[in-house]
Amino acid sequence: MVSNLTQAIDRRAFITGCAATSASAALALRATLSSAAQLHRGGVLAPLPTHFPARAKRLLFVFLTGGFSHVDTFDHKPALAKDSGRELTTRQLRGSPAAKLMPSPFKFSPHGESGLVVSELFPRLGALADELCVIRSLHTDIVEHFQATLAMHTGSSTVPMPSIGAWLSYALGTHNPNFPSHVVLAEHLPYAGAQVFDCSFLPPQHQGVRIIPGDEPIPDLRTPAHNATLAELEAQMLRDVNEMHARHRPGDLNLPARQASFETARGMMRTAPEAFDLTRESAATLALYGAPAGDRSSFAAQCLLARRLLERGVRVVELIDTGSHDNWDAHGDMQAHRPKAQRVDRALAGLLTDLKQRGLLDDTLVAICTEFGRTPTTFNGTGREHYIDAFSSLLCGGGVRGGITYGQTDEYGMHVVADPCHVHDYHATILHLLGLDHERVTYRYAGRDFRLTDVAGHILLPILT
Amino acid sequence: MVVRLSIFAGLLPCFTLAQGGLLAETTSAQMSPAEAIEHFELHVRPVLATVCGRCHGSQQASGGLRVDSRAAILNGGDHGPAVVPGRPDDSLLIQAIRRTHDEVVMPPDEELPADAIDHIARWIDRGAPWLAPHGTIADPFAAAGHWAFQPLAPVELPEDSDPSLSSIDRFIRARLHDEQLTSVDRATPEVLLRRAYFDLIGLPPTPAEIDNFLSDTATDAWPRLIERLLASPHYGERWGRHWLDVVRYADTAGDNADYPVPEARLYRDYVLDAFQHDKPFDQFIREQLGGDILAANPSTDDARRHEQIIATGYLALARRYATAPYELWHLTLEDAIDTTGRAFLGLSLRCARCHDHKYDPVTQADYYALYGIFDSTQFAWAGGEEFASKKLPRQHFTALARADEVASRTADLDATIAQCQADFDMAEAASDKQLAKRLRQQLDSSHLQQQYGLPPDIPAAYAVHEGTPGDAHIHERGDPDSPGPVVPRGVPKFIAGPNPPYIPPQASGRLELANWLTSPANPLTSRVIVNRVWQWHFGRGLVATPSDFGLRGTAPTNRELLDWLASRLIASGWSIKSLHRDIMLSETYQLASRPSSLEHADSAAHDPDNFYHWRFNRRRLDAESLRDALLVASGQFDPRRPGPHPFPPVSEWRWTQHAPFQAVYDSPHRSVYLMTQRLARHPYLALFDGPDPNTSTGIRTSSIVPSQALYLLNNPFVTVQARKLADRLISFSPDATTRIEFACQTCWSRRPTSDEVQQARDYLTSLNQAFQQSNLSPAQLESEVWNSYARVLFASHEFIYVD
Repeated sequence: MVSNLTQAIDRRAFITGCAATSASAALALRATLSSAAQLHRGGVLAPLPTHFPARAKRLLFVFLTGGFSHVDTFDHKPALAKDSGRELTTRQLRGSPAAKLMPSPFKFSPHGESGLVVSELFPRLGALADELCVIRSLHTDIVEHFQATLAMHTGSSTVPMPSIGAWLSYALGTHNPNFPSHVVLAEHLPYAGAQVFDCSFLPPQHQGVRIIPGDEPIPDLRTPAHNATLAELEAQMLRDVNEMHARHRPGDLNLPARQASFETARGMMRTAPEAFDLTRESAATLALYGAPAGDRSSFAAQCLLARRLLERGVRVVELIDTGSHDNWDAHGDMQAHRPKAQRVDRALAGLLTDLKQRGLLDDTLVAICTEFGRTPTTFNGTGREHYIDAFSSLLCGGGVRGGITYGQTDEYGMHVVADPCHVHDYHATILHLLGLDHERVTYRYAGRDFRLTDVAGHILLPILT
Repeated sequence: MVVRLSIFAGLLPCFTLAQGGLLAETTSAQMSPAEAIEHFELHVRPVLATVCGRCHGSQQASGGLRVDSRAAILNGGDHGPAVVPGRPDDSLLIQAIRRTHDEVVMPPDEELPADAIDHIARWIDRGAPWLAPHGTIADPFAAAGHWAFQPLAPVELPEDSDPSLSSIDRFIRARLHDEQLTSVDRATPEVLLRRAYFDLIGLPPTPAEIDNFLSDTATDAWPRLIERLLASPHYGERWGRHWLDVVRYADTAGDNADYPVPEARLYRDYVLDAFQHDKPFDQFIREQLGGDILAANPSTDDARRHEQIIATGYLALARRYATAPYELWHLTLEDAIDTTGRAFLGLSLRCARCHDHKYDPVTQADYYALYGIFDSTQFAWAGGEEFASKKLPRQHFTALARADEVASRTADLDATIAQCQADFDMAEAASDKQLAKRLRQQLDSSHLQQQYGLPPDIPAAYAVHEGTPGDAHIHERGDPDSPGPVVPRGVPKFIAGPNPPYIPPQASGRLELANWLTSPANPLTSRVIVNRVWQWHFGRGLVATPSDFGLRGTAPTNRELLDWLASRLIASGWSIKSLHRDIMLSETYQLASRPSSLEHADSAAHDPDNFYHWRFNRRRLDAESLRDALLVASGQFDPRRPGPHPFPPVSEWRWTQHAPFQAVYDSPHRSVYLMTQRLARHPYLALFDGPDPNTSTGIRTSSIVPSQALYLLNNPFVTVQARKLADRLISFSPDATTRIEFACQTCWSRRPTSDEVQQARDYLTSLNQAFQQSNLSPAQLESEVWNSYARVLFASHEFIYVD
């Protein structure tokens, strides 16, 4: 039985290593049974070693739903004004209809020492230009919200796969046993719903725990027991009953693991309310984010909560700004970007500033992204369609050079002309910054080793510090 | 690449195959896969690329032939396949370059050097392996020796000194002997009772049933219990659910707005009934793939016809994508192909959509041969965003009514709409705004009914029927916009062997596929299902990868037993219930789950994961059994099969990708009847490792996570059931000990020990003391105290584990 115990101690590390070397049939057999083995670890995910020294210890993944327009935000294209009205075809889901080039209705200006050009939609983020790396050459596979949102989160446009947060939780574990390792702050669900932060075939402890602003941010945290004394008596009785059961089954490692999961649950019941309590923040901090006192549901309040969770050792925090309706999907009029930008600009800038002030930005990687861009052309003269051949997203914080751009599109923002960055490349770079070789973070499922980046993925080396 | 090849070679034992006949030093068949590829790269590919490729490449395909991929060569050109793997003399390519063919002489101007011809012949003799982009290896010989692709052969029963030992036990014992393992003792009757109940019907025994069984001292008490459970109406609900995992059952379509499919439940019930009535499993497969074709038989009565049509819900349930009817259809067919491969053959075929399979001998041509079959099939469309945004009707549902009835109801509906439209026009002409508004609403609602596909009062099946038969193009790199050569409809060649089923030009080929799958000669189908049944009984299959019997799957721990079970299944007329009897009457099934003495320490050290069955595997209840057990304990369980899900009426169907359908419906019925969605997983089922309704689930995981603990400690569903159990206990008896005994029997399927009774009594006393300061009435206090005890039992290890 002792050998059983030692095996259980680090099966996950063992399996990770096994998948990486993919050595012999016996090892492959072990890996195949990994899902069964996972349960021996119980709920607590101790931190695991990285493949090489990490530039960032945690990830903040900010997803702006609906597809913000690259040519109206971070990829300035003066030629659109010059050639306004010129007819060009753009690839859509059904065919490639011709449409007219449309200039951006927004003003662009250089910011910071780097002179990074950002549109007037993001004045405060623009002010942090020297911290930001703008990737202008992203591209993805399917020109639909649903499929592109799934791709940006899981690498797969079709079959739901584990999300990037789940992969990181699986590969890195977490430092705080009283908290989930992967938390998602989303008032509304994005396209493709909860699949975008699901663990799919990875063990469920890696699933993103969604926090909905309100009275019960995490479900089932409140005890039905009458008062604290009774709750403690009940907890002790459960321990006693379970101990008696386990005593008669000495070799069964699931039983202590299950008991531990109850202790973790009680830990969450004790500590979560404090973590969610924004009244502990100073007026100055609230002002920095633009969160009114007492507010728990604005995007600013979510940003503030994100910082509190990152501080408490949560490995991956995802912030989703809006749901699958009323978002950045500006088919009708690009002016619809204004209120969306206003909602997030100050809060995100406040969050980055706050992280920097607390020294957290050095080892926190921040990814600000969307599912696709928008056509440089227009059908109706004011709005833009979905576009997957070129779009922009940001990276900043731990290990990323600030004040730079990566990749280049043509004069209209229509095609990537230098340093393309597929969604897989974006993911590979994020994993790299967190100390992981994206080709070695694998999981054996249904007879195959799966990974976030499928069989692709290149690291954007020039953006690394 | 070098690394990958060497690993590949290391995994495969050397094969000794029949010699090709024309070789001097190493016979081609003796070349390892790595050597064969090296030979191909050095001596064959350069000739194909430089000499042949000039006229038979991507620029120009003379005679319809291209030689730039294995699939293209096998598919051939105007004169048929260019290469027959393994048979150089019969290959057109060889005849052409040897200049022995009557018409085709290649290259036309100058003969190839003799050694080049020799190399190409060796290559074909070796099976024409090909290293395609992405490191794909298509090498039929690598797989030729794979155990799962061998025909079922008669297996000899191992000898044993005990003649009364069952056949299964002989195989298991022989293996234990080889591994020097000692099996544990038989489990106690109360353990066996709980095990059999959860295993066969997914519910716990009641206290009365426990007493009955334990007092039944007849020698046939155990077989009679098995018969009782197999006959229980709950048996089909339990075992049908296993199959629903495999066929990725869901109540929604999975498109971007996740439209509900109210008719899906008919397929669910069909599956449950099939298990309940022990429908021969081969017939079950044929109905799911080709029930509509079988139903066309004029001698079939209505009930049977409907059942067969409903069975094809298996295919209709393929995952849908995007917003328009049949959009991204190649992805839906990928799901149909992959699920069929995994469910019946234990093979993942998905990879072959874009390239020849990396590990298994499945080629892209095999994939598109199946693709043609399903693309010749008309699937129903259940709605999606454009149902609402463009008012596109649901399509191709099959009416479960006589044609004249459908016609008359449809005419009624059309007439109602016409009348309503006329009235509306009159009201508008008369400027009667109120009336016009009311009629407009009526009209919209009637239009929606029309859009529903069939009049809503005509029962319909979410099913498939024959479409326009035709062969499919290979999609180069999986891209439907890059058509490659056309492949005839058919089944994977490497299993079908020299006599693949004939598919008539006017048929989709589904029935032929089903007949081929269920032919006793198919080496995979019977092995795959007996292995699943074994897994569902023991927690792990003899093959630990139930949906992957390919080269990357795990080898069986007891191949003779697996083959014996497969042959036995076929001999029994594919009866799953017979298989249950064989398994459950074996001693192996009745072993205890823990070592009973020190002598088993060696076994535990040797085989801690119990691959060889020296003990039984303890298991956590799956999501459905856990919820059902809570409902049974609380007395809230409704054992009946519920009617339709309470989906909103069709007049309210306006879901889009921006506002998708999402609902969770409470139910006191068994969990198999919970409405499950594809996009939004059922929160409870997701928490306790329920199946993924988007893709075939072969193994349920069994996680232990804090959020499950939070659920059992605090979730209102659980606390309500605890309250109901407390009420039951209080009204059951005034005596605390009697209550405790009843509670333990209900939750743990056994009487408590005297220590456990004392422990519970002490706990109740301490609670009473703690409550003394409160101002609760005696009745409230009693309720709180027993509530707390019930919550402890529900969260206890013993509630959720089965020994």
